Amino acid sequence: MNDYPAGSLDHNVPFLLTLGTRTDTPYDAGLPAILKEQAVLIRSDLSPLETDQARALLRYIQDRDAAESPCNGRDAAGRKYRFRIKTAERSLLLPPRRARLPEGIEPPPPSAVLHSPYSPLSPISPLYPDGLIDTQWLRKHQHYIPSVLLCFYALTSDPSLATLCDNQIKTDVNNIRALLSQSGYKTRLAVVLLSDHISSTSSSSSSTDVTQERLETIRRGCALDSKALFLVPSSDSQDELERVAENMLTTLYSVSVEYYRDLGRHSRKKRGRGVVPQPTVPPTSGTSQTLSLAGWNVRYDFKSAVFAEYRLEMDVALRSYEQAYENLLSSEVMELIPSWNPRWNDARFLADVAAIRCLRCLLWNGQHSAAARRWLSHRERIADFVDRRGRGTNNYGWAAWEARWAIIMADLINQVDIPELAAPTLRLYLPPEKSAMGERLQPWELLHHTGYWYRLAARHTKTRKAHARAIPDDDRRSPSASPASHVAKAAFAYDTYMCPEPYEEYPLDREGVDHGKIIVGFLMRARDEFLKRRQLRFAAEVSLECARELLFAEEWEMIVDILRPIRDELPFRAEGWISIAEELNWGLRTAGVQVDDAELVLLADWELLSRDFRRRPKWHYDITQALEDVEVTAKPSVSIRDGQVLSFVSASFVFRDEEGKAGQGVRSQLSIKSDAHLDSTPVVLSTVYLSFNGSLDGIILRHKEKKGSKQRARAKASLSTVSLAKQENEGPEAETETGSDVDKGITLVGSADLTLYPGRTLVFNLEIPLREPGETRADSLTINVNTESFDLRQSIAFQETATPKPWYVSAVTVKQVAHPEPLAIRVAPRPPKMEVKPPALREQYYTDEPLSLAFEVENGEDIEAVAKLEVVLFGEKPPLFSVVIPGQEDRTASSVRSEESRLSGASLGTIPSAQSLAVRLVIPPIESSSRYDLTLKVTYFLSTNPGTPISQTAVFPLNIVNPFEANYDLLPRVHPDPWPSLFDPDSVPFPPTDDDAEGTTTSQPPKGLSQGWALVTRYASFASEPLRITDVDIAVQPSPHFRCATTAKHTANIPASGAGRLIHPKTMEEAVFTLAAQKLTVDDRAHVPLDISLVIKWARPDDHDHDPTTAESPTINTTTLPIPRFTIFGTEPRVLASVTHHYRRRSPNPNPNPDEIVTLLTTLTITIENASNHFLTFGLAMEPSEQFAFSGPKQTTLSLLPVSRRRVGYRLVPFDVPAPGTAEGPGAGGGSTEGVGEGTEGKVGEGRVGGGDTTTTTPKGHWIRPALVVRDKYFQKVLRVIPAGDGVRGVKEGGFEVWVPHLS
Amino acid sequence: MATTIPSIACLGVIGRNNNPLQTTIFPSYDPSTSSYRPVRTPLQFSLILSSTLDVFELRARQNAAAGTGLTGDFGLLHAVDDRLAAYGFETNTGTRFVAIVDMRGRRLDGTGAGVGGGAGGGGGAGNNVGATGVGLREGEMRVVFKAMQVAYIKLLQNPFFEPDEHSPPKGQGGRRITSRKFAEDLRRIGENWGPGVANL
Repeated sequence: MNDYPAGSLDHNVPFLLTLGTRTDTPYDAGLPAILKEQAVLIRSDLSPLETDQARALLRYIQDRDAAESPCNGRDAAGRKYRFRIKTAERSLLLPPRRARLPEGIEPPPPSAVLHSPYSPLSPISPLYPDGLIDTQWLRKHQHYIPSVLLCFYALTSDPSLATLCDNQIKTDVNNIRALLSQSGYKTRLAVVLLSDHISSTSSSSSSTDVTQERLETIRRGCALDSKALFLVPSSDSQDELERVAENMLTTLYSVSVEYYRDLGRHSRKKRGRGVVPQPTVPPTSGTSQTLSLAGWNVRYDFKSAVFAEYRLEMDVALRSYEQAYENLLSSEVMELIPSWNPRWNDARFLADVAAIRCLRCLLWNGQHSAAARRWLSHRERIADFVDRRGRGTNNYGWAAWEARWAIIMADLINQVDIPELAAPTLRLYLPPEKSAMGERLQPWELLHHTGYWYRLAARHTKTRKAHARAIPDDDRRSPSASPASHVAKAAFAYDTYMCPEPYEEYPLDREGVDHGKIIVGFLMRARDEFLKRRQLRFAAEVSLECARELLFAEEWEMIVDILRPIRDELPFRAEGWISIAEELNWGLRTAGVQVDDAELVLLADWELLSRDFRRRPKWHYDITQALEDVEVTAKPSVSIRDGQVLSFVSASFVFRDEEGKAGQGVRSQLSIKSDAHLDSTPVVLSTVYLSFNGSLDGIILRHKEKKGSKQRARAKASLSTVSLAKQENEGPEAETETGSDVDKGITLVGSADLTLYPGRTLVFNLEIPLREPGETRADSLTINVNTESFDLRQSIAFQETATPKPWYVSAVTVKQVAHPEPLAIRVAPRPPKMEVKPPALREQYYTDEPLSLAFEVENGEDIEAVAKLEVVLFGEKPPLFSVVIPGQEDRTASSVRSEESRLSGASLGTIPSAQSLAVRLVIPPIESSSRYDLTLKVTYFLSTNPGTPISQTAVFPLNIVNPFEANYDLLPRVHPDPWPSLFDPDSVPFPPTDDDAEGTTTSQPPKGLSQGWALVTRYASFASEPLRITDVDIAVQPSPHFRCATTAKHTANIPASGAGRLIHPKTMEEAVFTLAAQKLTVDDRAHVPLDISLVIKWARPDDHDHDPTTAESPTINTTTLPIPRFTIFGTEPRVLASVTHHYRRRSPNPNPNPDEIVTLLTTLTITIENASNHFLTFGLAMEPSEQFAFSGPKQTTLSLLPVSRRRVGYRLVPFDVPAPGTAEGPGAGGGSTEGVGEGTEGKVGEGRVGGGDTTTTTPKGHWIRPALVVRDKYFQKVLRVIPAGDGVRGVKEGGFEVWVPHLS
Repeated sequence: MATTIPSIACLGVIGRNNNPLQTTIFPSYDPSTSSYRPVRTPLQFSLILSSTLDVFELRARQNAAAGTGLTGDFGLLHAVDDRLAAYGFETNTGTRFVAIVDMRGRRLDGTGAGVGGGAGGGGGAGNNVGATGVGLREGEMRVVFKAMQVAYIKLLQNPFFEPDEHSPPKGQGGRRITSRKFAEDLRRIGENWGPGVANL
């Protein structure tokens, strides 16, 4: 907009001029010199006011100046007036109403009329004779002629001076009025009186009346309208002042609007006349053509429009402007002007101004789409016009205008200040207004924000530049240096409307118009707008254009400043806009070389190597040459993040297996692929660093040139196996190689040929040792290119891809790796190589046996280990155990809880590799059978990795079983000793003496009743292996009431030597114990419990192989089996049957042969014991039998005294053997062959072994059943006859049987 | 002055990850040489397409706030300048279609390089032809996007077409579409469209 003359495009605002106050700068409206001499001077004779009040009022009014306020009608309601306010001190100049004739022109005939100096009719005017209208006229109204002249006067309150002052005011006002009317302008005059009267509450109404009267006098004296005289009371209050000023300005505004309405009416009246006014002097020069009627109409319409704009009647203004515009472009005005005529450009200018003012009116009214359409249509019409009548649109002049035209719109949008299009709304364009909706709209007709317009301007400027560059050299020469003929020819060849001549546009010998700067200026403004609305990509596009322009200007640093943030921040390459990234890179590279920014150049060159970018012909594509033209002070080191550039190097990594174990190795493959341009120079990677984000060590591969690599490079891929060696990081050297990723102490290093040929893949087989358990993932690869001139480092992050990754079997064969995450490996914990071995753990252990378990802790690791042992015995009531470790103190279980017994932290010391340590676990005998879980946990540290404990756990079940089970029978026997007699004084206990009341009872020999018993125990081994039994015995619980002793024991087959006997599992063994029990006193006849337990002494068979530790002396274990309690000494009478056999020999041989035995006499003795205190009578009846003959009482009665026993004997002679098949040993009842033969008869012959010893010989014989009934006479109850010795057995159906051995 | 009508200058398909999937460029009428040739270079079209992403983002935010835009038709994204305008459409899978219309892309009257067949079918378009050329009604581009969507769906139905390869669900970028058939479809759509064309 600045291209247009000042004032031509300004929004017109009513002009108010104040007069009569002191100002710092004198008022100068800027009248042109030519008019100044004819100007009308308006002058106030009174001295200007300097009071604070006047200043305050003036300042307030000046602050309301609306000349620069936005051109829109939005706050019309809140704003009652608009003024352009200027201040003059005492005088002002008005341009002459009538132009004087210039010197040297013949005086006109008297009829000639003088016209305004701004009219084309006056020769003094530049428009004379056929111009339309120009900026001067606009300036006249806006700047020179105020619509309202506001005069400031002081109204003195001093009564002595009042009249004088009032008269002075009157005189002055009238003077000014006279001058004004003399000038011919209809400027309204207004007076403001500043009262210095201190108005207070005390002031009487009379003083007000006086003032009022004075005002009235002045008003009348000056012939002022009531609307034109204002009184500002003297007041300190700013509010009051403002109120008065607001009132005054509002009132004046209506006056002012009226003024402009009068002017508008005047010009419409003139247009309505339809007459072409005659110039003061007929033109004599040029074509001597005068302005046509159509031209006058344009002029009048334009004037009306401007006056309407003063009045803010935008609709009216728009109509008038449109009318002026249409008429201007009609066939009668512009079409008639030849293009060589300067008036041609004037007309174009006027058309522009009208169009711009139209646009402003439209925008004012909110018709944004209409404005955009108007903008388009003006361009189309002018283009059409220029094409037809002018010099065409294919030149720099037109392009310049187009650019200007776009800028105009941008400026207008800024001026109008459309809130809907403000940056915070993020709106790019406005929707069409209602009236335009549904029409076929050009997209551009939706008003876009200024950024677009600036960009459009830049684009046109670029066209202008291109056209300017095409100007031939001849035309670029300055006219003084070229032949006149050429100048004449060139004069009309170029459209120079508002733009310089070709020799200034693009001079040959000096700088001309700096197109680049203009373009960059526009683009930067556009970019700001786009950035404000978050159109980042669009801004980037604009920046690119900008950079291209700056390239011509060689503003390298600016290019870098503009492009670098785009490269760094916008995701063009990540999103795949390759061509954009390419453009950026080349731009940056070019600039980078110039500003010696090595990093920029390297980065760009590195990226441009990628085949994704188009190949630039004749480019070296050698990264080592990147810095050839760059001057650097220090060797540059560039680090590239992953994703920062579109790298031509891609890398992938594959673990062969999904799982691995710590301490083992895993096979893996690293492949590095180059997608560089095929003819680029191979890149030699100095090192590559592979990092993992789990527990794996980082791996460095170093470059090592290999011979023959050239040949291998023929293949698409080259496969090599790299052996890795451990290296401790030392110093900064390693640090720089691997970057900051390295935080572990250990790195694996290998070397390989790292020359990366374009299009090829380097594949490395790596055997990576796994150290710690957990999930490990290959994280990234850092490649380093170190050359003489620079260091470059790029990190590449590995990505999991959906497609399976290849595993190179060879350079050409590939197979897919099946597992889904080839970048990751699960490392299972290091399998402990320490082993806990039980060399001889038995299936079963037995109760009552001390357990001594030997374990061997064997170190299978490659190096020595420091180990600790933890032992836990878990089960019901675990015993306290102890551990014997060689070289260490014995340790006993430290904590015993209800279910576990634990020993922890027993140090095993250092176990050398491949050695073992024997540990012995000693568990005391366990009483009851139970099950335990024995857990041995060896925790150890390897000296190489002291931070990582490794543990091995072994669990052994311990099964403790009772090795024996037994059942018991307590059989009554006849005690051989006689019972004590109540009448025998010996049997009476001594009365207890006082001094030893307690102690003596037990020491006394027992004198009570005695009973004989036989305890038959049958025990079996339930062990899983044969056991050696050395002894079987019973232990009788001592009792205070009786004494019981084992009188005999028959532990069959157990040799007395102590060597014991091996018994096999699940075989029944028998042992018989004869017990003799005797009560202490006769008086005590209560039954007593008998507690016995069976004691078996046994040992494991001495198998030296299995248990070498016990080889010397097999431990004798004692297992005690408690026997259920028996009750003895009952008071019920017992009937005991015992039998003895007597053999009668034929010869008197004392050692008879069995053959010699001829007859057998069997004696059956029935013993009845009465342990009660009663006298009892029993009847015995013996039935005769067919099986035997007997002698003895067939029927008898026995009477028993209390505590006595009696015997009845029968002699039985069995008959012949009925059936030999019934023979069966008397096992159940038998067991003893000696000492039972008591009887009245006494022993006649030697007792012969009969029954019992079933194991040696099976005696032959048979059972006979004597039908003997013993009946309690008193109770008439049959008593059971109890077998009380061998050869007698009870039968189920009652009664008993007697064994008769056969004699044969 | 030859009257010109709008034509399509470029059709772009942009993937969910803002990655260009397909760009088809059409020639426009150049009055200075009276010939048809692309109005911009491929790089410039690339830039124009990428800059529409800004608008898509802005618009998506506004739509989300206002709860509108369910049809996916974004209408006019912006006018790049007084000649080119970008219209946009977003499928519900986030793939975006962009049509860049050259408002003076085709000669209406000429006997010259005649793509006029398609343009002539523009029905009532002729009525409104003025000095500033033919404008476009709201929704007039919808038919283009419909047709593009149909073509895209046909492409997706191809069992060998792997959408995730072109717009990975996670991550960035993606490969371009290389289907010849899809390219042909787009070419057909671009060449046959003109103001008032109701069926492609």
